[in-house]
Amino acid sequence: MSLLTVRNLNVNFAQRQQPIAALLDINFSIEPGERLAIVGESGAGKSLLGAAITQLLPKPGYIASGSVTLRGKELTQMSAKQWQEVRGQRIAMIFQDPMMTLNPVLSIGAQMVEAIRSHTRIGYKDARKMAIDKLAQVRIASPSQRFEQYPHELSGGMRQRVIIAIVLLLRPELIIADEPTTALDVTIQAEILQLLKEVCESHGVALIFISHDFGVVARISERTLVMYAGKIVEQGATLEIINDPQHPYTQGLLNALPQMALPGQRLNQITGNMPSPNERPSGCAFHPRCRYATERCAQETPNFINTDVSIAACILLEELVSHEEEPDA
Amino acid sequence: MPELIRIKNLSKAFPVRGDWFKPWRSKKQQLKQGVHALNGIDISLQQGETLCIVGETGCGKSTLARVLVGLETPDQGEVWYGGEEISRLNDRQRMKFRKRMQMVFQNPYASLNPRMTVYQILQEAVALHHPELNHEGQDQHIRQQLESVGLDQTAEDRFPHEFSGGQRQRISLARALSVGPELIIADEPLAALDVSVQAQVLNLMMDKQAEHNLTYLFITHDLSVVEHFASRVAVMYLGRICEIADRATLFSAPKHPYTQALLASMPRLDNLDETPIPLQGEVPTVYEDIEGCSFCRRCPHATQRCFEQIPVALNLEDGSQVACHAIEEGRVWK
Repeated sequence: MSLLTVRNLNVNFAQRQQPIAALLDINFSIEPGERLAIVGESGAGKSLLGAAITQLLPKPGYIASGSVTLRGKELTQMSAKQWQEVRGQRIAMIFQDPMMTLNPVLSIGAQMVEAIRSHTRIGYKDARKMAIDKLAQVRIASPSQRFEQYPHELSGGMRQRVIIAIVLLLRPELIIADEPTTALDVTIQAEILQLLKEVCESHGVALIFISHDFGVVARISERTLVMYAGKIVEQGATLEIINDPQHPYTQGLLNALPQMALPGQRLNQITGNMPSPNERPSGCAFHPRCRYATERCAQETPNFINTDVSIAACILLEELVSHEEEPDA
Repeated sequence: MPELIRIKNLSKAFPVRGDWFKPWRSKKQQLKQGVHALNGIDISLQQGETLCIVGETGCGKSTLARVLVGLETPDQGEVWYGGEEISRLNDRQRMKFRKRMQMVFQNPYASLNPRMTVYQILQEAVALHHPELNHEGQDQHIRQQLESVGLDQTAEDRFPHEFSGGQRQRISLARALSVGPELIIADEPLAALDVSVQAQVLNLMMDKQAEHNLTYLFITHDLSVVEHFASRVAVMYLGRICEIADRATLFSAPKHPYTQALLASMPRLDNLDETPIPLQGEVPTVYEDIEGCSFCRRCPHATQRCFEQIPVALNLEDGSQVACHAIEEGRVWK
């Protein structure tokens, strides 16, 4: 059975006249121990999807319809009290800025012990020992000294390690990491990615990794969802998508990377900007920026097509598939 | 190519705030305890080239840019622009250099005045540096500038918050270009932007360079942008330059151990099988006054000498400059 299943999830933002649809018809699932990446530009709704899974949607956002199930148990209908047992213990989150996540006036140790003791009945001494063990596991030097220190005394990379340690304390089944390395330098980023990958493997934790950087995603995830304007446009195995992207948006994203053009040459940019949710184009939301767009794209909403590489929602692919089928018929 | 800027032995330290004994300390003592942002930087900039400065947070790359445009005064060293020393000019003397070099900042949300329309933002710069233009001339000039960065006339009367990040960075660039500079110093101009928008801004910057024969000093931590955009690269680590080389040389044969580690940890799509070179230990804080090579604590090749003596920049055969004891002694990269 899948660990987490999201079915036909729609998230709206309430407004005076008419609610604005921010996430439309999201469908995906994640297996235990799997590492899944969600990629897209800012405004694509990738962070919102993470928030919707954990019911941490910013107001006035709400889940309009659809279901999110964790090992078969419906999450969208749970009360706040029931959620307390899920958040942290079964689904944990890591955010972009570790300084915003850690409490600046409490020592690292106090925050770790608090996390343990608010979920379990473990005494202070044992909790302290557990915390120091975990700090050592995420390769923090002299963990018992760091235990006493405050967040501002640590470097950015170390803070993110502390957060990974806190997250692991309660042995969750799923970690949702929202751009956890964006605020870090390249060398530190490489270390944190390596660490995240290792702890996920050793603890058997599933990971949802939200990022805008295909280079990072390629290093950590097995499967990738590409989002555009609140919808999933393509999903499949990470390396296969990178080698042979099917959806024009995925192609555009990959082609825009500086390494895809010869040095000094113009980059292959995608023209225009991501539309805001209240002015969603008709048909396929990507058609105003797509270089292959036809009239059909402006009118019809594309369905998901199974290609050899991935599952992508594009009218062009639909036409391609139907052309291939015709001669047989 | 003629030389545009030469920086000689530039140092800048910031005294740490909250030192109670500060009034009783000599300037020298104060600085010894301060943050050493720049430590003896020697670098030159040729006309028409794109020099990228790469380094991690806190390595002093932004301070270098700020000293160049005169937002900070250096403690030591000189900045020569053409034939003149410009690091210690007063505001009036600096005016003519301000016209020749302009800066584009990292965060276009903070660098554009939110209470001014785009027209006012550009007009301010134009009025100051092109006093010969009358109102109509200004209008025309501003319209041209906006057009040249791909914004239409309706943009003039709108406020910065009405634009997206990429558009705001275009406005910043239009403002910088409206003065007619020969050098643009860009401090992480792409950091706040998405990949696809990054590509748009980068293309625009390259177009403008070809159009006006601009020189760029481009500060960034993103190596893939550097590989694409730079003609020469300087790698900085904790206030010192470790390596300066042509783009092709640096990326095909990185010499300094720090450059090697940096390149190996770059999240690219074509080096997925390579494992990043693990760096030992943590980045030392800038408050510490390190005696030897600033990279010695994380360097896999460090010896006793590296902890004691500051390495001097060596000129290698392929034209690159490297400051590293291990290379000098032939222990790495012969």
